[in-house]
Amino acid sequence: MRNFIRLALLITLVATTACGRQAVRAAEKQFLADQIMIFDDDPHEASASEHVRTNREGAAGGKGAGGGGCGCN
Amino acid sequence: MLLASTSIAAAEDRSEVSTSMFVEKRDGGKGGLVVVHPQASFGFDLGRYVTFDVAYAADAVSGATATIYQVDAVSTATKFSDLRNEGTVSLGFQGKRSRIVFSGTFGTERDYLTRQIAAAASVDLPGRNTTVGLAYSHGSDQVCNKDNGMATPLESRALISDDPCNKSAVFSGKDTDGMTKWEDLSLDTASLTITQNLSPTMNAQFAAFGQVAEGFQSNPYRRVKIGPNSPQEHIPDTRARWSVTARLNRYLPKLKAAAHFDARFYDDTWGVVGGNVEMGYSQYVGKNLLLKLHARVYQQGAATFFKDAFFYETESTAGEYFTGDRELAAIRNVNLGGKLTIITIGEDKPVWGLFDKLQLLARGEVMLLQNLPADSGNGGGIGNQFINGGSLIDAVVISLGLLGNY
Repeated sequence: MRNFIRLALLITLVATTACGRQAVRAAEKQFLADQIMIFDDDPHEASASEHVRTNREGAAGGKGAGGGGCGCN
Repeated sequence: MLLASTSIAAAEDRSEVSTSMFVEKRDGGKGGLVVVHPQASFGFDLGRYVTFDVAYAADAVSGATATIYQVDAVSTATKFSDLRNEGTVSLGFQGKRSRIVFSGTFGTERDYLTRQIAAAASVDLPGRNTTVGLAYSHGSDQVCNKDNGMATPLESRALISDDPCNKSAVFSGKDTDGMTKWEDLSLDTASLTITQNLSPTMNAQFAAFGQVAEGFQSNPYRRVKIGPNSPQEHIPDTRARWSVTARLNRYLPKLKAAAHFDARFYDDTWGVVGGNVEMGYSQYVGKNLLLKLHARVYQQGAATFFKDAFFYETESTAGEYFTGDRELAAIRNVNLGGKLTIITIGEDKPVWGLFDKLQLLARGEVMLLQNLPADSGNGGGIGNQFINGGSLIDAVVISLGLLGNY
């Protein structure tokens, strides 16, 4: 669990400091806003797939919570 | 038994109804395993800052199961059926760049109760190229079990389908003296998600997941043949698990398509170490058709206390514990699937009724499962210790859905 917390903190640190604030301008988000670029765009499909897999495999997790694709809600 | 996930559907003005059917091959002449999984969800705004979502899902399960985990499990196959209902209510609050959603879930089936509360929050960082999401859920589930009193694990009897699993006021299990006892299972789950725009045509997501499960986690029906006896399986009460996932989307403007990549690593305190990689491709065909294909390979090693049935029968337990759960065995699972979406968007008036956009979805997937030996140099019984081994295609999933935005 300690390793998990360290990794989570590291990822947060990298994401909030190293990533460029202006990596993509608002006017350039046409493709990022397309539904095929949104992670887990279809909640039913995502939950049904996870439902089947967690009943066949020992692993769990991996699909994140929140967080859209383009940050242009 | 099903474990509810922490992921919460993003609240927005959308409704979806869908039904999936899962069919798994089973040996033993008692038929396969069939699960019909209908889902319905409705989300709408209550003013500018508040959202409200309701969701319902069910599982109608029927088919064959093995009564005893042994070298020849096929001979103990019996038929069973169960119905599970689950409802979720979510209330969300959203600002210009942030959102928080609180939800409650209740699920019930003959032998299991799900009671979960959850919260998920996300915020777009300045520049709106990074979204950070955090989620936490607490489940206080209950599992119906045989009342084994002071019996030792090797003396414990398994639950049978005729045993009473009574409930009081639907929301809580009610013990039946000398017959059945409801066991507690608490589940604390947290996840961190970071979504990052890398370029105008590429974004990535990193997710870390952790969960601690404390309580009764055995399948109450499953027995394991240990020498001449067949007691109820016995596994640890505590399991801590974690995973990290990286996902990447790349849009291909000239093709009106996108490529998808997904990789995950998983580890837990029971010794199960696994991982998967997945590749996907989405392609628009004309104005109204979207085709998505995906291929996924997953592999895991066995839990430290999982042994092939031959080992348990001839050598006894693996320390204190013993199980016949295939999820804790060494397996490789390959998924190949496709999804076709027909999209209808209203230009200046709704497509139908309130809906500005309607999507008809059809999805199919085949699963190729390979059971791997848990004990090196001992393949005894691996061909028949599970009743769904042998064939190349182990299971098929098909689903249909209708999604509307308004």
